[in-house]
Amino acid sequence: MSRIELVNLRKEYGNVVAVNSMDLTIEDGEFIVFVGPSGCGKTTTLRMIAGFEDPTAGDIRINGEVVNEKEPGDRDLGMVFQSHALFPHKNVADNIAFGLRMKKVPKDEQARKVQEVSELVRITHLLGKMPAQCSGGESQRIALARTLVTEPSNFLLDEPLSSLDAKLRRELRAECDRLHDELQKTFVYVTHDQEEAMTLADRIVVMNQGKIVQMGSPMEIYSNPVSYFVADFFGNPAMNLVEGEFVAGANGLEFHSSQFNIPLPGKFKDATPGKGSLGIRPENVTIGETGGGASINSEIELVEPLGKDTLLYFGTDADRPFVAVVEGTQEVKRHANVDVGFPDDAIFLFDANGDRIR
Amino acid sequence: MSMTKSQRRHAFSAFRYFVLTIWLLIVAFPIFWMVSTSFKPDREWFAWPPVYISENATLQNYLTVWADVSEYATDETGKLETYTQSLQRPWEALGNSALISVISTTLTVLFGSVLAYGVSRYGILSEGRMFQLLMLRMVPPIVLIAPISIWYSALGLLDSITGLVMLYFLTTLPYAVWMSKSFIDEVPREMEQAAEILGASRMRTIWEVVLPLVRSGLVATFLFILILTWSEYLLALLLSKTEVVTLPVELSKYQGSTEGRVYGRQAALSVGITLPLIVVGLMIRKHLARGFSFGMVRR
Repeated sequence: MSRIELVNLRKEYGNVVAVNSMDLTIEDGEFIVFVGPSGCGKTTTLRMIAGFEDPTAGDIRINGEVVNEKEPGDRDLGMVFQSHALFPHKNVADNIAFGLRMKKVPKDEQARKVQEVSELVRITHLLGKMPAQCSGGESQRIALARTLVTEPSNFLLDEPLSSLDAKLRRELRAECDRLHDELQKTFVYVTHDQEEAMTLADRIVVMNQGKIVQMGSPMEIYSNPVSYFVADFFGNPAMNLVEGEFVAGANGLEFHSSQFNIPLPGKFKDATPGKGSLGIRPENVTIGETGGGASINSEIELVEPLGKDTLLYFGTDADRPFVAVVEGTQEVKRHANVDVGFPDDAIFLFDANGDRIR
Repeated sequence: MSMTKSQRRHAFSAFRYFVLTIWLLIVAFPIFWMVSTSFKPDREWFAWPPVYISENATLQNYLTVWADVSEYATDETGKLETYTQSLQRPWEALGNSALISVISTTLTVLFGSVLAYGVSRYGILSEGRMFQLLMLRMVPPIVLIAPISIWYSALGLLDSITGLVMLYFLTTLPYAVWMSKSFIDEVPREMEQAAEILGASRMRTIWEVVLPLVRSGLVATFLFILILTWSEYLLALLLSKTEVVTLPVELSKYQGSTEGRVYGRQAALSVGITLPLIVVGLMIRKHLARGFSFGMVRR
């Protein structure tokens, strides 16, 4: 049973507040992902859990025990670094055995465990090589093995895949998922990549400016963002977010922007008029269908076929073009005028502060 | 007429070799002259036109200086010969030099690298302090000699090995800190943290992770400082010239009002002073190449 608790955790560097009074409980076996833009405090939080940074205030508890004063090596943690941080002067087998040697595990048991873990992450063919002879993906697998072999109950992973190319990243992402499944240990994973967060996490912690903005399962965060920031951060292609104004019209509230004006669904009738923005996910925008909500007639300015899907761009002269996703099989022509529909239940409204209007 | 790209490249390359060759000749000539003179019989030391490579090459200079073997038939005065034999003690000077420079260099590199680790990892000296440390070296040593002499005489450190070791340790420490810091800075912090979280203590981490990675750099630092102390003349001359004589001071005795200018002997001694450094350099050349290019070979 292992549980990591952050209680009122705070970190300041001079006048800069990197982590602002954070409370979080990470349950045993959970795969939790800290995600946010760079400088949001996610890595600082991870480094405080690891023991490389001392909190300015607050406690870190692991298995119920306050570990603030404990050395990193005594916290029952394993950590994988963005830079792999393999020891360049030791061969792969010695790298992996390092933690076992520090824990004074007998020699023959060391060898057995190194072999075991190398099979688990499929690097047995690399054991005799030096780290410099291994590719980026291999290095990251070795770093994983070096951490796994000491059998900690919690794994900290600091942007472990960000130095790899897209294909390897996908491959190792699946590997992380498989390992978590197999080991049933707690994984705390930091990334700035929303896709990694979506695919890996049991629970996502979205951070911005040192604070937790939203916490929840990937689908919760995707379908129910609490703010403009979260809505904008998750999803690819990103949510259409149009700046404008809520205006009281004849038949209830309307949304006016430089691109279009539409009436808003009845559920927003009590919202305060004023500046704000309207959001709708590209895959929820309907093309050429009517019914179920407001619609406008607009010209398709750009067509981007991606195979399975096709992206349609409207209003490309605005700061952010308005994007719709349709099935790849659907016949669409550039410069054609189509009906662009806004289904009632797909519309998100955010006030001038970026908070969600419900 | 315009040249093609490859012609231009060849022309530039030829020009570069030309300049480098001239430069090599300029820097190598004194060394050549030293070696050549050390084998010349006394008549050729001052000869004009100069003798570049003696046809009467002899080992007499070496024998006189290092083995105290008298010359047989020369037209020099007997007085000089007696003087040379009775007063000069090259082997003793070699021993002193070796002892002083090895001890002080070892101490300097040891303390300097530990200090540098603290600066690199814990910021124990601010950037300003680090600069001040280097500024210490900007003070001409000669202006310090009066206070040091007074203190040394009071403490009984004049003309002693301890006195010179202490002084060399202090004057070369800034170099050691700056040089080894640059090597330690190259070791990623994450590498140490990886070791720590795997259960290694701080000392263990330094021993197993940091030290092997900066070893070449420290060896380069060691050689650099060894050269400085080995060839230091001014402080050694002023603080110790009768009891504890070092090689550079010994060398200076071959030119003076009583001795005249015994160039051949001096050259023979010079070769003896230079050789140990060359030998040490050759022994550790693997580290030197890596030490001086560390940071450029990051993966």
